Amino acid sequence: MSAPGRRMASVTLSHFRSCFSRTAVGSAGFRHLSSTSVCRVTLQTKSGTEKPSSPWTLMAAVCLQRLPVISADCSPIEQQFRQMMQRMELEKSLLSDHELRLLEDSERISRKQADDYDSDEEENRGDQEIVLAQDLEDSWEQKLQKFQPGLRVNVCVKSSRHSGEGVRARSVPADAPLSCLADADEDLTSLERCLADPLVLVAEQQVGGDKLWLLPQTRWQEGETLRQTAERALASLPAAGLKATFLGNAPCGVYKYKLPKAARTESAVGTKVFFFKAILSDGGAPAAPSASLLWAKKSELQRYLKPAYMMKVERFVLAL
Amino acid sequence: MSIIMCCPPVSKVTRQAFVLQRALASCRATPSLQHPACASVNERQYRTMPTHGIGRWRHLLPKEAPKKKKDKLQMKEILAETDTAYGSLNVTVSGYDMTLVEHYSQYIHNLCNRLGIKVADSYILPTKTTEVMLMQEQGTKMFVDAVLKTHERVVQLSSLEAAACPVLLDVLLQNQPEGVELSVSEHTEAHFQARFKGRPELEGLIAQLTY
Repeated sequence: MSAPGRRMASVTLSHFRSCFSRTAVGSAGFRHLSSTSVCRVTLQTKSGTEKPSSPWTLMAAVCLQRLPVISADCSPIEQQFRQMMQRMELEKSLLSDHELRLLEDSERISRKQADDYDSDEEENRGDQEIVLAQDLEDSWEQKLQKFQPGLRVNVCVKSSRHSGEGVRARSVPADAPLSCLADADEDLTSLERCLADPLVLVAEQQVGGDKLWLLPQTRWQEGETLRQTAERALASLPAAGLKATFLGNAPCGVYKYKLPKAARTESAVGTKVFFFKAILSDGGAPAAPSASLLWAKKSELQRYLKPAYMMKVERFVLAL
Repeated sequence: MSIIMCCPPVSKVTRQAFVLQRALASCRATPSLQHPACASVNERQYRTMPTHGIGRWRHLLPKEAPKKKKDKLQMKEILAETDTAYGSLNVTVSGYDMTLVEHYSQYIHNLCNRLGIKVADSYILPTKTTEVMLMQEQGTKMFVDAVLKTHERVVQLSSLEAAACPVLLDVLLQNQPEGVELSVSEHTEAHFQARFKGRPELEGLIAQLTY
């Protein structure tokens, strides 16, 4: 902790068992995240002595990330390499059981159609003669035709009947006028934009008189850990149903802000903001988009955050 | 070796050869005195070159005890957590596609090595086979539609600093491939014992003894 004379708080780290899976994409497009954490916090305060309070105000902010839902498109070099590797692997591979069976079946059919065919010489294959490998392949091909993959880019249909709210639909209705269709990628408040990139939640909050765009933060109170402050900051946002899993008890970044000389006093020099990382977990009904919350990519953060703040934030926001 | 020792330094080549031959003779007469190791080595010695055996170094190493056939797998110490670091953690990667699962677990292992996080162990749990059976359209018989194999790889970290934890987890989650499940849990003795196969006859005998 930065300020001297703070009460000694010894925190035993929480046991955590987190399970992150990327096997199924839920309806809301989240990654399934489940964690059971047992947080044991023991505070031991020094008794008796009077401690001078620090001139810095402490705040904790949460960097809530929505992880990418689908894999990003490959760059041209990656595509070329992938094709080359597939060709090489195909050329070096051996025939699989199914392919061997296909060859055997076609051979057997050609032998049957020959003039000097003697069925007693044939080995009895049993049900392999009834269901040929080619039939199996045809039935699998039919199943594949029926499969409809989801759209890589969600199309958001904005209708004038619902004022302001977007009706998010996977398949576009045929009678929707083209002027109403909007690419969900451009809707900054939508959680389903840019499925291939990680998004960070940015909120517009009142800070000392101005409304600024920053990561949701709130002031630290006595008797709680900074992580609990960050959890409170997340809970106090107007958007309901944002369930998050915090990654660890240690902050990932810090931002120091000194008040201008005119406003500085003995007891208030500035604020220190500690950032905590959290991952958006599955669940939560899609809340009504509010104007003060945004989901931004790392490249778009620059438009909203102040330069000095941005410098500290971009150090820990990963956009891999 | 012995040739070099007993042959004095001479300038002329011919005289050197003559001296060498004489040294040779003396060598052959008493091999055990001059160089016990020579006699024990049953290989052809090219003694014409003075540099013969110049690179030998294995005889200088201390004698190793003969390796035992197979040691019983010892459990690595399970560290308890401290104020600033987590104890022994198990990072389990599981999925249906073996290449993805293996490559991802290798990636985790290499990343931990680079970040300075100590990796205690990395092992494989047995594959679990799941048969997907579909009901036939006509009739009540089920037939096998697909066979899915679940592969599991475990990377055991010995101590993870609390400050490094969110960084590591964020990187792992952002690089997680599709169809692969990542799970981080504490390592306990039960995890270790679960890797062994049960021995029913031994348990039966022990039960008989105690009974």
